[in-house]
Amino acid sequence: MSTARWAGATALGAGIAGVVAAPYVLPSYVVSLLTLVFIAALLAGSVNLLAGLAGLVSIGHAGIAAAGAYGVAWATVHGLGLPAALGVAAALTLAVSVVYALTTMRTTGIVFLMITLALGITVFGLALKLSSITGGQNGLTGIRRPAVVGEWWQFYFFTAAVYGVCLLALAALSRSPFGLLLRGIRESESRMTSLGYSVTAVKFVAILVSGVFAGCAGVLLAWNSEFMSPSAASFSRSALAVVMVIVGGTGTLLGPLAGAGIVVAAEYWLSSYVERWPTVLGVVLIAVVLYAPRGIVGGLEDLAGQRLHRPRKEGS
Amino acid sequence: MIPRRWKGRRPARILLVVLALTVAASACAPDEDTGGGEAGGTVKLGFISPVTGFVAALGTDMRRGWEMYWQQNGGKAGGVAVQTVFEDDTGDPEVALTKARRLVEQEQVQLVAGPILANTAYAVAGYVAGKGLPTVQMTGADDLTQRKFNPLVLRVGYTSSQSNFPAGQWAYDQGHRTAVTICPDYAFGWESCGGFVSAFVKAGGKIEKQVWHPLGTQDFSTYVAQARQANPDVVFIGSAGGPDAILFYKSWTGFGLKDRIPLVGNCCFADQVFLREVGEEALGLQSFTYWSEGRDSPAVQNFVKAYEQQHKEIPSLYAAGAYMMAQVVAEALKKTGGRIEGADFINAARQVSLSDSLYGALTFDDTNNVVGPVYRTRVARRDDGTLWSVVEQTFPEVSQFGTEGKEAFLEHPVFSRDYTGQ
Repeated sequence: MSTARWAGATALGAGIAGVVAAPYVLPSYVVSLLTLVFIAALLAGSVNLLAGLAGLVSIGHAGIAAAGAYGVAWATVHGLGLPAALGVAAALTLAVSVVYALTTMRTTGIVFLMITLALGITVFGLALKLSSITGGQNGLTGIRRPAVVGEWWQFYFFTAAVYGVCLLALAALSRSPFGLLLRGIRESESRMTSLGYSVTAVKFVAILVSGVFAGCAGVLLAWNSEFMSPSAASFSRSALAVVMVIVGGTGTLLGPLAGAGIVVAAEYWLSSYVERWPTVLGVVLIAVVLYAPRGIVGGLEDLAGQRLHRPRKEGS
Repeated sequence: MIPRRWKGRRPARILLVVLALTVAASACAPDEDTGGGEAGGTVKLGFISPVTGFVAALGTDMRRGWEMYWQQNGGKAGGVAVQTVFEDDTGDPEVALTKARRLVEQEQVQLVAGPILANTAYAVAGYVAGKGLPTVQMTGADDLTQRKFNPLVLRVGYTSSQSNFPAGQWAYDQGHRTAVTICPDYAFGWESCGGFVSAFVKAGGKIEKQVWHPLGTQDFSTYVAQARQANPDVVFIGSAGGPDAILFYKSWTGFGLKDRIPLVGNCCFADQVFLREVGEEALGLQSFTYWSEGRDSPAVQNFVKAYEQQHKEIPSLYAAGAYMMAQVVAEALKKTGGRIEGADFINAARQVSLSDSLYGALTFDDTNNVVGPVYRTRVARRDDGTLWSVVEQTFPEVSQFGTEGKEAFLEHPVFSRDYTGQ
């Protein structure tokens, strides 16, 4: 086991060193893409929390992120200070998450998916229609991120740090008794009920917690683009988050990050060369589902596990 | 990736390490990329349009129009060679912004043109102007050159409401006293209807009903029924084109209203996509627009001919609009001797005055928007049988502020569902 431990420590060290070194060696545009990867990975991570642990796939999480983003954007445009702006963002995120939670906590599987889809579209519609608040299709301009993280590289470090903290929180959460509860619910709701847990209440809390991470991603999103419009809540944003989770590996800690990296690379880098980049992304998705059902990170974990336990070959 | 034991036991320590490294790293800034930079008689321009996604058709036409101008003019203006880097924004502001970053920071372009949708244009214009670089736009969003005016942003095009002011006045002059408007329920629709409604009401007309339909409506019969019930003298439709326009018109003719209530369209209602699909039934339709492919002018007819030869179809408003952007950039380069320097370049571009162009005789006002003609067009048959729009009447020198003048106009809020100038 100590080999694995050393390998892990080395990988972690290399990862952190890479993240810290990036702005010094890479052009600013590439760094802005990495910033986007972290933000997308945070949103995907919030989807993964529900999908991986509780087996609840949400296809409307961009709606929650948009709530946080609109909160901070609206407050900044109206001249509120940073604490007040974050307060508005938190309140709005929480309010929207509560709606998500209340409407979906008794459901599971395809019903959960459909309701979150409807909720996401509702948020999109509201953002489009409440133009006196959201600016409608034209969006909100004139958002400025806090001066401390005003420069692109400062914001990159800030985003990376926020993502790091959230990643640790997600890791802790998945190992906590609460995480076990969610796994239990995924395996058998009736058994958890007969053990005396209120499945509905656990799901309610889980959706709120997931909403907090999505809200954080939303605030970072608004600060990153310094512009906010309804497309941040669009179906395609929610769907891409789910794609990131599936490609990266549902239920793995770093899966969303890997998935976000691939999707962002396709969307921003590949698209400069290949007009049909969504097709390429689709092919990647199909390939992953066929050949690595646990996603890229899940697949790598399996490979590493096989190598470490080489002597005793488990039947595949 | 992280071994199990690590994950559980040492989050606090890892966190500390991360924070310490981040703080240490943040203390010293990496080298900045420097934007701009002229490379021996070449200017590098960035062009963003959506060539994939739900508005791919518009973005593709734009790219063709832009390319055609430089092709026809040898890729040169003001003594310098012009090089364009194209990017696709997929119709999403987040993508548009990131692509603009790539153009400015990596490709080091000196000017960015496009994109087309209001939200993508606001995102790109805000970023590019924030970097101190000039940008030319063709989106309709009113406020871009009004309440959110920026000296680095020039619109080579008309605001969404601009071309509909003459429509409102004209409808009243025709003896129509009551009207119903039908527009999609988002900014472009609000502004389009705002132009018509404000002018019609100001002239003395009465709006019986304003019908707002969601973008992407499949069945227009309820909306058409509402219009019929109000039984107005005239109906104005402010459409963004595409399936909505076609489906609306099918409902309209299906209800037998074609010969009962006069219908007036905006810039984008009876476009070529619409005419190809609707065919015969569209003959005689009237619109108020700034792009008329059948206008009797050498500028327009040479463009249509060249475009048709290359792409086998009559150019759309979007192809013409991008061509116009290229032309104004070229004219400005001639004035500055091939130099692109921030607001100076936009100032030079604003001085550009064209005696005839695809849009007609153009000048710019002091908030960087076109002052130019609006045409009342009618759908007719070309000699070869193809349908297109020909000019019936010209309203010269229409301003984005209508007949009100800048100060008075800017006092009221931007057009919205709640405020259309009534």
